[in-house]
Amino acid sequence: MPEKSIGPNLPGRAHQRGTVGGPILTEWFATKDLHKLDVYESQGGYTALRKALTEMAPAAITTEIKTSGLRGRGGAGFATGVKWGFIKRDEPGPKYVVVNADESEPGTSKDRYIIENSPHMLLEGIMIAAYAVGANQAWIYIRGEYDEPYRMLREAMAEAREKGYLGRKPLGIDYPLDIQMYRGHGAYICGEETALLESLEGKRAQPRSRPPFPAVKGAWGRPTLLNNVETLATVPWIVNHGAAAYVKFGTEKSPGTRLMSVSGNVRKPGVYEVELGQTFRHVIMELAGGPPEGRKVKVFWPGGSSAPVLPESMLDTKTDMESLAAARSMGGSGGVIVMDDTHCVVRAAYRLLQFYAHESCGKCTPCRVGGDWAVRTYERILAGESSQVELGILERVSDGLQNGRCLCGLGDSAGWVIDSTLRHFREEYEDHALRHECNVGATPTALRATSPQVGRSARA
Amino acid sequence: MSSLPERVLEEIRELPAKYPQHRSAVMPALDLAQEELGHLTTEAMSEVAAALQLDPGYVEGVATFYTLFHLQPVGRHRFYVCTNLSCMLRGADEVVAHLRKAIGVSEPGEVSKDGLFSYEAVECLGACEYAPMCRLDHLYHYDLTPQKIDALVVARRAPLSAAAKAGRVPSPRKPSAPAAAPPKKPRAPRTKKNA
Ligand SMILES: Cc1cc2nc3c(=O)[nH]c(=O)nc-3n(C[C@H](O)[C@H](O)[C@H](O)COP(=O)(O)O)c2cc1C
Ligand code: SF4
Ligand code: FES
Repeated sequence: MPEKSIGPNLPGRAHQRGTVGGPILTEWFATKDLHKLDVYESQGGYTALRKALTEMAPAAITTEIKTSGLRGRGGAGFATGVKWGFIKRDEPGPKYVVVNADESEPGTSKDRYIIENSPHMLLEGIMIAAYAVGANQAWIYIRGEYDEPYRMLREAMAEAREKGYLGRKPLGIDYPLDIQMYRGHGAYICGEETALLESLEGKRAQPRSRPPFPAVKGAWGRPTLLNNVETLATVPWIVNHGAAAYVKFGTEKSPGTRLMSVSGNVRKPGVYEVELGQTFRHVIMELAGGPPEGRKVKVFWPGGSSAPVLPESMLDTKTDMESLAAARSMGGSGGVIVMDDTHCVVRAAYRLLQFYAHESCGKCTPCRVGGDWAVRTYERILAGESSQVELGILERVSDGLQNGRCLCGLGDSAGWVIDSTLRHFREEYEDHALRHECNVGATPTALRATSPQVGRSARA
Repeated sequence: MSSLPERVLEEIRELPAKYPQHRSAVMPALDLAQEELGHLTTEAMSEVAAALQLDPGYVEGVATFYTLFHLQPVGRHRFYVCTNLSCMLRGADEVVAHLRKAIGVSEPGEVSKDGLFSYEAVECLGACEYAPMCRLDHLYHYDLTPQKIDALVVARRAPLSAAAKAGRVPSPRKPSAPAAAPPKKPRAPRTKKNA
């Protein structure tokens, strides 16, 4: 019975699926019981915190992060050091660090992988960030379904408090540091930074209009630094080894490594530490073992379900953000979803549109209405009840969702799914919409015959 | 008549002190209420509101936004089966179909006759490398197959013997979900869109 807890090295967790002993983030992940404070310290854990608090001026830490070129791993890829620099450290009154551990982007599991392997690495990064931007209090907003990561972080925080890393005088320095957790309750939109802040304040999670940006007016109206788990977990390594060592990895504009969670139709799904600039062919075909025997990669989402899809012919695209932008996609959350040639692109797009429609917070019209429209249009197409008209509707809806017509990125993401699948797989859409057949698999299927499969009663 | 015991209300009244503003306590408070009752009744939400000095409509507005709050009775053991893309590509639909048969329900949110089970088909749970997967009783279960689903169900039908085998005590929460079949109601709609 797989009844036991799933934490690393705990009974029931047979093995990690992903990189251990990689260059940066996963360097210590092969170490047994790394989640325990003494083990983490034995590897060199908390030396970065000591260095930051006792040897570096806060501004020097921010400069080091700027020089490292580290970019946010939550989705947008914003320069981390620059973001830290937006917070006015000397402004009186409370300031906060808020950690985005909401990880809900379909295909993304790297933050969970980090926390379950090395919760102290995240805590150490948070403490350094808080010190650098002048915050004494940090909040980890963690998705409610992450019971085990929550428990592990709680234990790690207790250890860090006991040891005096957290508290009134961490390492004897007169700089109080505290971290608290806040649990989400099942809403994808809470990953969007301003929706997350609303949720943290006990409200319905609807994004705020910006400006003001969180750096000026964030949690409870106070200046707030908001970063993703992986972003902050990278900080101790940079402080330990220096920015110069970090930029030796990756490309000029996307330095370093990132964790890519590879899932879907691959033989070895897992969370892999990848040097930016490696190709997706390397990630999908080598690290993740490629598709099952006898099948071919058809399409992949390079950065979570929100990143525009790339067809098999673009497997040699590189993983750095510039290469992805040139391919009209993005690095996003680092979640690589691979689909093989036994699956239907139209149906996959339909499933994702159901997701975006369900998770729309309803604040702006194109997203609220457009998502539902798209879902209903896909249903007609998949039921073989469509013509050129439906393809036209999809194009219009997709256009209406993109290019700043929505308040937050969820609308764009929904639009990109339609847009990019149509762009690369027009013929497959036309098979469905105009010829009423699905050509995936050995023989074409008439759509009407398979229509009962279309409805997904869970969401209506 | 109060639906939440004084002990829980006391705990709820202590929550606001933990946050810079008292409103943040609303979700942790609803958690406590739901943990106690199995699902959030209108009375429970009013009591939470009173304990936090918030408007009952506000509390209900928050509860209806988030899918982890249940406004209808649920089974004592809830399967949250991921049906998003990575899990779908590895057979999540078959897992759901099998689970329905195993617990004897025909749709999400429906509670099995013995009150023990219900399920939801949910979005990505952030464990896609173990697809298809689900969350059940505050734990993730990976690489699901019909056999694994059966084993999870059987273990919960006979909790004592299974617990003895697995060396752990049964969930401390009382079986507060109704033991008899509750009236079959459609899943509470998320009201986010007309906020
Ligand atoms: C709809 C939507 C969902 C998002 N979900 C997440 C998420 O789950 N985790 C995350 O870190 N960032 C998410 N983001 C990005 C955040 O808004 C934000 O850019 C990020 O957390 C900032 O941290 P970073 O600079 O370290 O990447 C999401 C954005 C949007 C528009
Ligand atoms: S784009 Fe969608 S999710 Fe984002 S604010 Fe608008 S309605 Fe809400
Ligand atoms: S898609 Fe199922 S856990 Fe991510």
